Amino acid sequence: MTREEIYGKLNEVFQDVFDDEDITVNDSTVASDVDGWDSLEHINLIVAVERCFGIKFTMGETTGLKNVGEMVDKIIAHLG
Amino acid sequence: MSLVSALFLVFVAAVLLLYYVLPKSFRFWVVLAASLAFAGFLGFYTLLFVVLSAVICYAGGLLSGPSKSNAARNVFAAITVIINIALLCAVKYYNVIGLAAERLNTLFGAVDGQNKFFLYAVPVGMSFYVLQTTGYILDCRWEKIAPEKNFFKVLLFSTYFPQLMSGPVNTYANLSAQFEKAKDVKFSFARICDGAVRVAWGFFKKLVIAERAAMVVNMIYGNHQVFTGWYVPLGVFFFAIQLYTDFSGCMEVVIGVSHMFGIELPENFNCPFFSKTVKEYWRRWHITLGAWLRDYLMYPVLKSTPLIKLGDWSKAKFGKKNGKKVPTYIALLILWFAVGYWHGGLWNYVIGSGILHFIYIVLGMIFEPLFKKIRPKIGADKIWFRIFQSVRTFVLMLTGFVFFRSASVGDAVDMYAAIFRRGGAALNWTNFCVSGMDLANLIVLIVAVLIVFAVDAYKYRPGEDEEPRSAIAFLRSRSAILLWAAFMVLLLATLIFGRYGLGYDSGSFIYARI
Repeated sequence: MTREEIYGKLNEVFQDVFDDEDITVNDSTVASDVDGWDSLEHINLIVAVERCFGIKFTMGETTGLKNVGEMVDKIIAHLG
Repeated sequence: MSLVSALFLVFVAAVLLLYYVLPKSFRFWVVLAASLAFAGFLGFYTLLFVVLSAVICYAGGLLSGPSKSNAARNVFAAITVIINIALLCAVKYYNVIGLAAERLNTLFGAVDGQNKFFLYAVPVGMSFYVLQTTGYILDCRWEKIAPEKNFFKVLLFSTYFPQLMSGPVNTYANLSAQFEKAKDVKFSFARICDGAVRVAWGFFKKLVIAERAAMVVNMIYGNHQVFTGWYVPLGVFFFAIQLYTDFSGCMEVVIGVSHMFGIELPENFNCPFFSKTVKEYWRRWHITLGAWLRDYLMYPVLKSTPLIKLGDWSKAKFGKKNGKKVPTYIALLILWFAVGYWHGGLWNYVIGSGILHFIYIVLGMIFEPLFKKIRPKIGADKIWFRIFQSVRTFVLMLTGFVFFRSASVGDAVDMYAAIFRRGGAALNWTNFCVSGMDLANLIVLIVAVLIVFAVDAYKYRPGEDEEPRSAIAFLRSRSAILLWAAFMVLLLATLIFGRYGLGYDSGSFIYARI
């Protein structure tokens, strides 16, 4: 799966979790850029991403992600 | 050895001298030796316990590391974490089973039935370093860090003396990076001066404000059968001042001392009493505890299979928007119970600094959609509303402080009842002065609190994740002389107005007893 394809799916996940159809994310998107992305909603997002891509983030990855770019890197690594 | 004592300052000066005079390759060993000596000063059992805790931490990290199979790593991580947490709970629960412990003491030969063994065996600062060492083991298991092979590095991580008694709660990744960086730190007067100003600021907060506010607090909390009506909110208000200046003062000393060694520790406070909501308050008060519990308790609970399944079920049952909140509320309940329990094994802590905050936060979440609709209509962007939000949050915190400072839940409930009880001491100056507070003391207290308020107002930034402004950097940018003047003023003010001397128990930082 290419990075662009991952972003296509990821945007849908973000729009669904945060209930906002206008959200588009990129490598530099961080939690403060998305309305409602707080520590509680973070896990809902992680679980939704895991389900969408059929992967499982470790707890270290879950708590250590700095931005969406890092999330995409981890997805690519998990997809092999 | 208290952090607010002449002995501690002499100790720090001696360690600093060795740290900067000896070759840089000795620095690690100087700090480690100082940390073990400091633990030894706190008592034999504290020294024994921190070393034991470091051994568990070291072994737990190696056994949970990537060289083993996943099943073995899970087992080893679980065993070592459980040992850590069980020891912590045992000490917390010690408060509750004091009587049983006394009986146990009798078995061990204590003639008067007093809690001698357990009294001395409870290690100082355990609540803080056990969190650190547990976090280290979990970080190794979750592959956030590689297990450390050098035992002495783990030993220093769990015993580093400035933060041993009261935190801040640190991670291995942060602290080990700081130790590495400190190897090349050069001696500079500016660094020592900046650290000294923070230490003096901490002494000022503790000795001039917290100890003075404690006079009123002790009188009202200890005698709420007599000091009823308005005395109760007054006592709780003074306790808020005492607790904040006590704990944040302690952190100023800890972070200031560590800064002198070139080892930067995370901030634990960011102007908490300016918070708009209870949720925000906990991102500004005891920040490192909140971050630890979020990363090592709440996230794993929320990401556990039972909670995910519960989320699926509740979404199907109550709809996507409401359903996904069910596991969140459960995780929050567990989190806040843990926060309360961590503060002390008694129910007044569990309620006052746990469950009550859980209720406020959940109510805030439930009514947030309604608030969103109302805010534009009532002019929520105006300054008066902003002030109202901070005052409201502060008052909600006070309701918890009633429980936090009381000896028991019954005592706290009686404090609330005392607000409406009649026939107590009349609210007048003569009765107020029974606490030992006279006009001169009150003026000193008010001026000192206004200074803290002004400094916090300068440091405050509305974004919760924004770095607060640095008052020291501000003074230094104007003139180094101004910074030295601030240090001298704080030093003199503490020497003249501080409450210390014979009979003063300098060991009694509130959070050092937690």
